[in-house]
Amino acid sequence: MAVTGLGKVRNKRKQEEVEEVEKGPFAGAVDLEMHSEDEVEDEDEDREGDDASDDGDVDEFPEIDAASDSDEESDEEEEEEDADDLDEEDTLDENSDADSDLHIFPKSKKVVSNITGQTKVVYPEIEPDYDSDSSTEDDPNRVGNIPMHWYDDLPHLGYNINGKRVLRPAKGDELDRFLQTVEDPNSWTTAFDKNTQMDKPLSAEELDIIRRLQAGENPDAEYDPYEPTIEWFTGKGKEEVMPLSSAPEPKRRWLPSKWEKQKIMKIVRAIRQGRIVGSKPTAADKKQQFYAIWNEPPSNQPPPLPAPKPKLPTNSESYNPPEEYLPTEEERKQWENTDPEDRERDYLPYKYPALRLVPAYDQFIKQRFNRQLDLYLAPRIQRVKLNVDPNSLLPKLPSPNSLRPFPNYKSLQFMHTKARVRCLSISPDGAWVASGDESGVISLWEVNVGREVKRWNLGSKVGAIEWCPRLDACFLVAGTEERLHFFIPPNISPAMLTATQSILAPATLPPTTQSSIKWISTSGAAEDGPILTIELPSASGLSRQLTWHRKGDYLASVSSSETQGSVWMHQISRRHSQAPFKKIKGAVQMVLFHPTKPHFFVATQRYVRLYNLAEQKLLKTLMPGIKWISSMDVHPSGDHIIVGGYDRKLCWFDLELSEKPYKVLRYHSRAIRSLHFHPTYPLFASSSDDGSIQIFHARVYSDLMTDPLIVPLKILRGHDVQEGLGVLQIKWVNKQPWLVSAGADGSVSLWCS
Amino acid sequence: MASLPSAVPSHPVVFTTQTPYTLPSQKFMIPLDWKRYQLSQLINKALDLPKPIPFDFLVHGEILRTSLLEWRTEKGVGEEDTLEIEYFESVMPPQRMSELPHEDWVSSVSCRIPQHFATASYDGHLRLFDYSQNLVLDASVHQSPITSVCIVPSPPSDTESRILASSSHDLTACLTRIYLDSETPTASTVASLHLHTSPLSSISTDASGSHILTSSWDGLIGVWDTSIPDDHQVNLERGDDRKKRRKTVPANIKRKAPIAVLKSHTARVSKAIFAAGEPAKGKAYSCGFDSTVRTWDVESGVCMNTINVPERPMLDLTETPDGTFSSLHPRTALGKNQVVTGSYDGVARLWDLRSTKGAVTSFRVWDGMKVLAVDWVGDVVGIGGEGGMEVWRIAGGS
Repeated sequence: MAVTGLGKVRNKRKQEEVEEVEKGPFAGAVDLEMHSEDEVEDEDEDREGDDASDDGDVDEFPEIDAASDSDEESDEEEEEEDADDLDEEDTLDENSDADSDLHIFPKSKKVVSNITGQTKVVYPEIEPDYDSDSSTEDDPNRVGNIPMHWYDDLPHLGYNINGKRVLRPAKGDELDRFLQTVEDPNSWTTAFDKNTQMDKPLSAEELDIIRRLQAGENPDAEYDPYEPTIEWFTGKGKEEVMPLSSAPEPKRRWLPSKWEKQKIMKIVRAIRQGRIVGSKPTAADKKQQFYAIWNEPPSNQPPPLPAPKPKLPTNSESYNPPEEYLPTEEERKQWENTDPEDRERDYLPYKYPALRLVPAYDQFIKQRFNRQLDLYLAPRIQRVKLNVDPNSLLPKLPSPNSLRPFPNYKSLQFMHTKARVRCLSISPDGAWVASGDESGVISLWEVNVGREVKRWNLGSKVGAIEWCPRLDACFLVAGTEERLHFFIPPNISPAMLTATQSILAPATLPPTTQSSIKWISTSGAAEDGPILTIELPSASGLSRQLTWHRKGDYLASVSSSETQGSVWMHQISRRHSQAPFKKIKGAVQMVLFHPTKPHFFVATQRYVRLYNLAEQKLLKTLMPGIKWISSMDVHPSGDHIIVGGYDRKLCWFDLELSEKPYKVLRYHSRAIRSLHFHPTYPLFASSSDDGSIQIFHARVYSDLMTDPLIVPLKILRGHDVQEGLGVLQIKWVNKQPWLVSAGADGSVSLWCS
Repeated sequence: MASLPSAVPSHPVVFTTQTPYTLPSQKFMIPLDWKRYQLSQLINKALDLPKPIPFDFLVHGEILRTSLLEWRTEKGVGEEDTLEIEYFESVMPPQRMSELPHEDWVSSVSCRIPQHFATASYDGHLRLFDYSQNLVLDASVHQSPITSVCIVPSPPSDTESRILASSSHDLTACLTRIYLDSETPTASTVASLHLHTSPLSSISTDASGSHILTSSWDGLIGVWDTSIPDDHQVNLERGDDRKKRRKTVPANIKRKAPIAVLKSHTARVSKAIFAAGEPAKGKAYSCGFDSTVRTWDVESGVCMNTINVPERPMLDLTETPDGTFSSLHPRTALGKNQVVTGSYDGVARLWDLRSTKGAVTSFRVWDGMKVLAVDWVGDVVGIGGEGGMEVWRIAGGS
């Protein structure tokens, strides 16, 4: 209990004592206080202090204005009086400091004497009665601050100062207490006093504190949250006169900034000239600011992944597993001998006869730790696995078995013992093979048996051999260094021989034309030598390639020299040679006649150009994207060509479709050397420096909408790679699905189906 | 046969044979773990043969090489089904009898002259060896490689001379008469057959020796008689050609023309033979690179039947006693139900026609050299090829 509050109570009581006679109607209520006051006599001293402290002038109210105030204040409740007290305190600032030592001894007051007009110190009067000294106050119970239930069983409450028992006050029964609550209007403001073991009414100050606490105010009634501000340096006469620093006031305090002005002018100019454009309202700004959040579809973010579940125990992990799960002695030893990380399972099944015999699990910590590791390493994202059948990604290709026949085994081999075989050619009837090697030997041998029946020795590297496609004549042409030689094979019928001789060495020579190329006919009787020789310009190098027009009258040759005259077109009937191109970009790698049209393919190092020979103009430039073209062949239909390069790529061009390859195949591991389409079967083959030959099925449809079908069929291996060179040339046998290949190892192989 | 071990399950079997050694047709219960050896012993015991003869066994067209049980489980034959097992005399592993080295490849061999082997070589020579490996005769018949040779059977009256017919790359076939009886056998080319415009692939005669068939790469089959004409039947076409030929060919070689030309093949003809036996008299068979086997009526020159086997160029043809047999193998020769083939890998194989799964036996003649010709007469097989000629003995065959 706040002492001040009590003091006020007493203060009031004092007033009431004074006015007791007149306050008849309130006698009952006051009476109760009186009773309580009688019993709480130990606080009389406080009352004195109170009187002295806050009611120094109030003290005088009973004396001076007792009668007048009684009318006004008697009806008021205690709170109002308190408010008055507060007001008075506020008004009397000078007395406020005296509150602190309120309890110690009576406070003196300075009062202006009515008589002299001087201030005087007035001390409160001390009533010289027995009660005036708190030390003599009668305290009925002197047991101190002890738990009072110790006296619950005793008739007394404790002992007074004299050691006499303080008897328990008479306590009515429940009915009395009820009646008291009914009769006594103040009973609801009473509280049980443990020390005296009886109900005591709360004083007005105590009630006020309770009210303040309930209202959430400061319980101290004298606390003023709105104290006036004390102005120390503001106002008249209180200004700071002397400056804190003696520095003179800088100029910038009162002059506008020049630099800021310049900066601003710069911006102003930029805005005027349009260099700075005000930012447009962005899309984010235009976006509707308020929207119904629940209208949005739910997030498609996957929910967080559930933790992976620990593995459930199996039968063998039971404390009492079936016998068949128990390890044998061997298994146990083996388990113990293996490293823990190598074990199939990290426990050994063990049988306990009863659950109560199962010991503590010794692996528990480790298992928990491993579980933590599992959780720690568990994936945070669930990757949606694409359920794509890998087979469905592959194109639907027919089985190679259904595409028979194609060559699949080496039937026989013909050996050139001296040097690598650069070139070969197969007679139009498919019975003979002529193969030429780098030592200048041309061998003519039978396809079927592989027996050489004729050999010509030219003495210089043979770069190309081509059999004339004519059916009414039979001869072959071989290209060497700067020369083309024409040979008639042996064992041809007399009629054929005559026809051939009349073509190559006619009795009456056609008129010679202006050309730098000489045609030299040797006598027809010389069987062992060429019947006709064409001398190409000097320094034209090795004739790298020969190709016949399908009618067998025109022969195109490509020489290996990089100069302009590397391509020559020879006409047999007129015995005339001409260079078809005055100027050609890049080194010509290969030329080909179109099988049906008067067109001419020229493959340079990077491009394949298609010329119309009749109109003498360029039709198309095909761009295979190959760094160095090595070989090319045209499909018998004439609408497709394949181009192979030293960079291992094989490009299929559909001439109707595009100038870019329809398909690029890269199956060889080394440079492609030779390509050939089969004249009748839907087959083509490619050979490479990796020593392998690859056979493809290539079906071309006359329907323009259907793409060509290319199916890899077979890889033929059998040639040795020598000095980085593998299979140098391949040719198909007419009318049969057989392939003849010439290798750098000096062998010529026949591959049969 | 009742005293069989009862522990092993047995299988009912009936034995048949085409050999003279026949068992009574009776059902046998054969233990399943028996193999060829036990079965052969069984037959030997049952027949009480004085000298044991090994037999081979054919079950469902396949030579038994495992035990019966393994065979049965492999084939899934039920236990109750009675098996019919055919047995025939085993073929002993062939033995190499002699080697007749040649300088050039041997393209054709013939063992039809008694006690002699005739070979045709790529150097254009015909050679005759006797059984003691002596070169009896060496005749240069053609300028170009000879592709085929055959012995024209001579009438029984003519014993001292024989006619060899040879076909060559030089577009002709030649008839060469040889005299064996004299001290020094001599040979003289008596006629050349002129029809073809491409190299000839084969030549063959009929059983009586009266007619000859030649096949050529130009797709034609020529039918010739074997009579030697008195005068040239064919004129040489060109003057310069004649000049050339005069130099090389003696004038006494009569040029013959065919009596008929069989024309139907669309590609090279690889072999043409006469049908053997009386009922098929006047018929001929041919095969070629156009994947067909054709039957011809020689009299009318009409193709009677065509068997087409797509994408299988036929290389050789021979005739069984009851039909024809053609092969992709380069060279074939037939016994009864059995056939010898030679291939480019230098291996000759013996096949039983009733069991086509695998060869009965195979023997490596040369390593990596081609076998180009085989001929099989009696128990002697002559094999010609890249390495010359070899003679092998196959015992026990037909």
